[in-house]
This record gives sequence, C-alpha cells and structure tokens, in this order.
Amino acid sequence: MAGSGRDERAWVRRAQAGSASDFEALFRAHWGPAYRAAYLVVRDAAAAEDIAQEAFLAAVRALDRFDRRRPFGPWLHRIVVNRAIDWARARALRPEAEAVDVPAAEPPERDDELLRELDRLSPEHRAVIVLRYLLDYTPGEIAELLELPRGTVNSRLRRGLDNLKDRLR
Amino acid sequence: MTYRAPHEQEAGERAWEIIRAAYETREPVAWPRRHARPLVAGALVAAVIAAALSPPGRSVVRSFRKAVGVERPEPALFSIPTPGQLLVTSRQGAWLVRADGSKRLLGRYRDANFSPHALYIAAVRTNELVALDTKGNVRWTLARPNPRFPTWTGTRTDTRIAYISGGRLRVVAGDGTGDQAVAPAASVGPAWRPGRGRVLAYSSGGRAIVLDVDSGAVLLRTPRGPTPTKLAWSDDGRRLLVFSPTRLRVYDGRGRVVLADDPSDATADSDAIFAPATHRLVVTRVHGSQSDVLTGESGQLLFRGTGVFRQVSYSPNGRWLLVSWPTANQWVFVRATPRKIVGASRIAVQFGGFPRVSGWCCAP
Repeated sequence: MAGSGRDERAWVRRAQAGSASDFEALFRAHWGPAYRAAYLVVRDAAAAEDIAQEAFLAAVRALDRFDRRRPFGPWLHRIVVNRAIDWARARALRPEAEAVDVPAAEPPERDDELLRELDRLSPEHRAVIVLRYLLDYTPGEIAELLELPRGTVNSRLRRGLDNLKDRLR
Repeated sequence: MTYRAPHEQEAGERAWEIIRAAYETREPVAWPRRHARPLVAGALVAAVIAAALSPPGRSVVRSFRKAVGVERPEPALFSIPTPGQLLVTSRQGAWLVRADGSKRLLGRYRDANFSPHALYIAAVRTNELVALDTKGNVRWTLARPNPRFPTWTGTRTDTRIAYISGGRLRVVAGDGTGDQAVAPAASVGPAWRPGRGRVLAYSSGGRAIVLDVDSGAVLLRTPRGPTPTKLAWSDDGRRLLVFSPTRLRVYDGRGRVVLADDPSDATADSDAIFAPATHRLVVTRVHGSQSDVLTGESGQLLFRGTGVFRQVSYSPNGRWLLVSWPTANQWVFVRATPRKIVGASRIAVQFGGFPRVSGWCCAP
C-alpha cells in the first residue's frame, strides 16, 4: 500500500537528498499499483513490467525537480496509464509485431470472468475503469490525470461498466 | 482491492535492480526546457515537405533555406575541414567523399558501410548484398531478399558483415562465404562491439540484444521499449546506445542504465552519437521549430538552428561534428574548441537528394 501523504512527502524529500532507503520505500509503496494498472490496461506481464519500470526511471530523472507539495502517486500513475494506453493502441494497430520473437503474453494467474471481459474494452475505457476502481481515483482526478474533460471520463466509465454488465449477465 | 497482477513481485524485484542503479548513478541532468509539443516539429516538417512538393512553393522553400542556414556558407561542398573520407547514401546511391571535396558515385546502393580499414565497402541494393572497393568495383555479391544495414567488423585478415534480411539478422564472412541466419531481428542497423571477439547488438521485439556470434550466447537483453532506430557502441565497447526519437538509453556492460532520457512530452531526438574514444554522448534534439546539438550528460549546447537537424556525425579525430540540416539544405561542420563553423550549401543537388552519412573514416 502507498504510504500516507506525510510519509510520502518525507520519502520524496529524503530521496532527493540522496537517501537510497527512502527512495526504496517510495518504490515499494508504488510499484504494485503502478504495475497492476499497467497490466490491467495492456494485459501483458512483460509490457506492464517495462511500462512501470520506465515510469520509475522517469521519476528518477525528474526527482530533483519534483514538487514535494504534490502527491507522487498521481504523477506516476499518469505516466503509467498514458504509456499503457499508447502501448495497447500500438499493439492493436500492429498485432503482427508480436509474432517476431516476443514470448506470448503470460496467462493471468487469476483469469476470472471480469478480467476476461475487461480485455474486450478499448484501452481508453479500460484505463478509466482501472483508475477508478483499482486505484480509487475520483472522476475529477482521472480527468486531470488523463487531460480529458470530466464528461468524457464519466461517459467512458458509464459505457465501460455497461459493456461489462451486459457481458457478465 | 486485493487483486495482484501476475508476476508482480518478481517483476518488481527485477525492476528495482535497474531503478536502484539509475538512482545511485543519477546526476541532475540539465536537459534544456522543452517548449513545444513534438506535433509542432512534425507540423514544421510536413509544412516544409508540402511546400517543396508544389512548384510555386519552391521559391518559398529556397528563401526559407537561406533564412535558416548558417551565415556565409560555401556555395558547394568544396572540401571537408578535417582528414578522412565520408561515405554517404542518397536517392541516387552511395557516394564516397574525400577531404578535398571530390566525390565518387559508387552505384545505386541503398545502404553502405566501410570495412574496418575503409579499404572496402559493404552495400545493398534490391535483393543483393555487395562488397565493393573504394573505386566502386564489385568484388562479390550475395543474393538475399531485401537486405539492409550492412555492418562490417574484424581485422585485416578475418572480417564479418552483419545485415538484416527477411526479418532476420544474418552474418557473412568478409569474402562472401559462410552466410548464415543468426536470429530474428527488427529492421534496425546492427552494431558490432569494438574490440576483441565478435559481439553484436541488434534489435528484436522492442529490445536491444547483445549476442556473442561465435558462441551464440546472449550477453545482454534490454527491457522492451519502442523499437530503437539506432544502436551504437562507444569506441571501447563498454557503453551501448539504444536510441529512438522518444527514448534514449545508454547501458553499461552489466546492463545497467547509465544515461536515460525520454523526450516524450514536448521534444523528439533525431540522432545521438558517442564522441570518439569517450563515453560522452552528443544528441540532436528537435523542439518546436528549432533543433539543438547538445552534449548528453551536461546538456551543453553546441549548435542551434531553425528547422530539423537530421543527423550528427563525428570526424575520425573527434574534433569536428557534421550536422546534417536538410531544412537549410546544408551540411554544417562544427568544431567546439577553438570554435569554428563551416557551412556548405546546396547539398541535395550535389548528391541527388539530401544524403545520409553512413561512415566517416580514416584517411586512406
């Protein structure tokens, strides 16, 4: 679980000052949600690992300039989800690219019906549902994260949930 | 929510090793601020192309080029301001350019690369890999489907050429014998590691893979990312550049990221290169309507211009940079110390299309 806001600000402050243990605390708190969010959008474990890893590398690069008054999680999740959407769109456009020598996507350990049906949604719909129901962002926060009008977020949530409901009936 | 994604913990441990290394080796990197979206750069390029395609627009393009180039350039490429010979390819074919400015069209080849001592050239044309001497005489050919990116390595007595054909990395001896497929590969130029042994970096599945060609051992496999457009080694073979316009990584021999940059939000990089005999990186960066040549680590600005810098190349002695500037239809030679800039105009008309530099090698 992510730490409290106060913990997180302290980790960021000390990590900026060079404390590897505080940077590790920040990583441990946020790796799980970042990886899960990426996985649920792209549904490919290797891609999710790369996307979450790249987001943390971006965090390392930007660490010295990071504004400690702002929460770390939304900043990281924004990178993760946007990259995951890009990756999923790219894969949809070029499915043959996977056939070269990339190992097949790992079967999910918990391949329940809901996750299978989530797969059928577009990356954009998947992303808002993951942000809302996995990462507990409000529609307003999702709108800010993805730079979308709030109405678009609400309609994607509604359509996504309607699609899931129809398929799970 | 208690859901855990597959392999979450193992993936986290693997990622932590890389991220920790990046954290421990981080230095505040003073990349210049990015002022505009890559879309703006794309729009500029599109506008220039659109203008060039329309005959009435050509005069506009010419005046634009005059406005964006270096001041008082030479009207043609009369000479290269440093020893060595350039191998370039354009729509017309492969050209060899000597320091005195003389040029020889070697033939209608698409890609070309010097042999290790610049005595021969490996080149490709439709369905054929070709070895030439520097006068353009063909020494041998090898028919393969749509070969690309020949890259030559070795000593005076034992050389190998790596190339891509039919979605596979292939390697052939320098005398054209023993051609074999090595691995599935993306259409990206492979890069031989300098020094002893035959170790090759190539791209496959969005990763860079470092392979010992003799033993077949994979020495390094980078995390997956956008397909790189360029792979390059530092001269000592201890750093590997994996470059794409939106993601740049430099790896050390143990696979640790020692330099990373993701110019995704407002800029794009068009090229990057190691300075000879160093681990210093020089990057060409397009932001908005402007391009910069920068040092990778400190962000020191070496040269700036309007439009798009397509490529940057180092002279063999490491003193001069050649900046390929198609927007201005110029080649610009830049020496950092003492500072000197030499421009040559009307490059496209001299080569039958704006050329791409394939090699800049030692004087014969």
